[in-house]
Amino acid sequence: MRMRGLAHSLFVCTGILKMAAILVPRKARAEWLEEWRAELWHVWHICNQNNGPAALHQKEEITAFSLGAFKDALWLRRNHASSAPRQWFRQGMPSRCILAFIVLAAASLLIAYDCPSVWKVVQANSYRDASDLVMVSRGGFESASYPTVEFSDYEAWTRDSGHLFAGLAFYRLAAKRLTIGTGSSAELPIARASANLFELLGVPISFEVRGMADYPTRLVLSRSAWLKYFHADAHVFGHMLQVDGQQAMIAGVIQDEDWRLPGRTDLWLLEDAQRLSTLQPDTEGYVLAHASPSVFRARPDGRRQMYVARKEGGYDWFVCESLAERIREPWSIFSFALLLACLALPATTSLPLGEYPAHSNQVPWTTRVRRWAFLSAKFILIVPIVYFGSLDVAYSSSSMSVGTSELLEVFSSFWALLLAFRWALRDQRRRCPVCLCTLTNPARVGQFSRNFLAWNGTELVCLSGHGLLHVPDIPTSWFSSQRWLYLDPSWSALFPVGT
Amino acid sequence: MAADPKLSHTAALILQAIHAGHIYGFSVMEVTGLPSGTVYPAMRRLERDGLIISRWERQSIADAEQRPLRKYYKLTRNGRTILDTASKRYPLLTRLIPSPEVENA
Repeated sequence: MRMRGLAHSLFVCTGILKMAAILVPRKARAEWLEEWRAELWHVWHICNQNNGPAALHQKEEITAFSLGAFKDALWLRRNHASSAPRQWFRQGMPSRCILAFIVLAAASLLIAYDCPSVWKVVQANSYRDASDLVMVSRGGFESASYPTVEFSDYEAWTRDSGHLFAGLAFYRLAAKRLTIGTGSSAELPIARASANLFELLGVPISFEVRGMADYPTRLVLSRSAWLKYFHADAHVFGHMLQVDGQQAMIAGVIQDEDWRLPGRTDLWLLEDAQRLSTLQPDTEGYVLAHASPSVFRARPDGRRQMYVARKEGGYDWFVCESLAERIREPWSIFSFALLLACLALPATTSLPLGEYPAHSNQVPWTTRVRRWAFLSAKFILIVPIVYFGSLDVAYSSSSMSVGTSELLEVFSSFWALLLAFRWALRDQRRRCPVCLCTLTNPARVGQFSRNFLAWNGTELVCLSGHGLLHVPDIPTSWFSSQRWLYLDPSWSALFPVGT
Repeated sequence: MAADPKLSHTAALILQAIHAGHIYGFSVMEVTGLPSGTVYPAMRRLERDGLIISRWERQSIADAEQRPLRKYYKLTRNGRTILDTASKRYPLLTRLIPSPEVENA
């Protein structure tokens, strides 16, 4: 029985050794495994010879012996000569920095892709004629996220708008009971809208049933609502549905990211003019219009103003805000933050990288180009990291209003860009101009009390022996910025790391 | 090989064990009482620093004894010098694991 237990233990331990061997560099793996197997055989053999109370712990001892192989394997992994290519990724190497940046950019992109509300913003397209498509609001309430235009005004403008508008659409949000299938119903926010809403926006309706575009009451679903309530069943289109006791035909689907107007909803009940006219005249809603550019010109701020005479005397003031102005693209917000960060950068840190004496005999032009390419790569990679990162921060919560999200995007991207650019410059200053590795071994040089007689500051060294960097503690007229001192090859004996 | 001959106590103990004739990993473990996870990496470090060298035993010996081939370690000249220095630093080393010449004396 004991023999069987030990044999089982030997089998398990051989498995442990094989697993540990995976950690060992390929070139040394076979020999390493052979040595450990031989040692295990001897351990097992000695345990097998022993009898008495000590034998009870032998299985544990053999297992503990085998587990030690992991430490040995890890040591070999870190120190074996064949691990030299991994030195490419050792601390302070430029390749490691670039790789980290690429990983960060990929991670922020993946987070954006994984979060539906963020990806919707990333994918969002501009509306067709966005500069002439306007949201009409009562004067003083422009950019408001609530409805301000009465239905009677909309009706009046559809009859006669003095050629100001080439098209008008109305919608308002209301909670309505939707009956899905047999017996199941839910109260959902539904936009009751004029039939031309999506036509005016230029948003295509997918799965639209041919010949039914003129049906008086049509229900359009967002893609997520179609997935949620109808499990992406393509056969539902053309079928009738009860919306607040009223029959409506399921007309089609629009992409989630296509709806960027005020009011959060996934369902749009498109009604013809006759059915829509059942709304009370004082019902407030949103009015979307296509302004005629030749007749109704925009001011420099992209807005148009409209005064409507009232029968009872006086005027009502309305503001038409273009969608291009109202719906700010995330990229344009980010570009603004990028511009601000670029302007603020010189005010927060010094831009010069230091004094690097011309040493054309030793430093080939490719090395100098590589140095600038590295700095450029850092700056370039910061942009997507911060862009997607700020989108992740600003748009991940669907409970936040659009204005708050935009504000958050501006603030987060500005600060992140500024800090990242500052870091990129600082990092560049702390690198060897030849091998681009981070300089190490900082040493204090000089004394503060002798500031007027000699410089004092920090001296850093390149481990490959390319040179020394002198950073003054107090910039003076004779030592204003850091200075690089190239070391000639006679110093190479002191730097075994050097290549 | 590092110019500084300072060895940790563990490394000195392993070096002394090999010098005393415990020339393979498990026997070093047995005599020092150190776990396998300490002994084997330490021996590799000593080998890398040129204080010990390893060699595989002859296949015929292993075949005759019907067991797997074993890897043996022995001190280099440099290792012996450094062990002498370490013995002065850690006087108990030779008492813990007596060297063969001491045992024979």
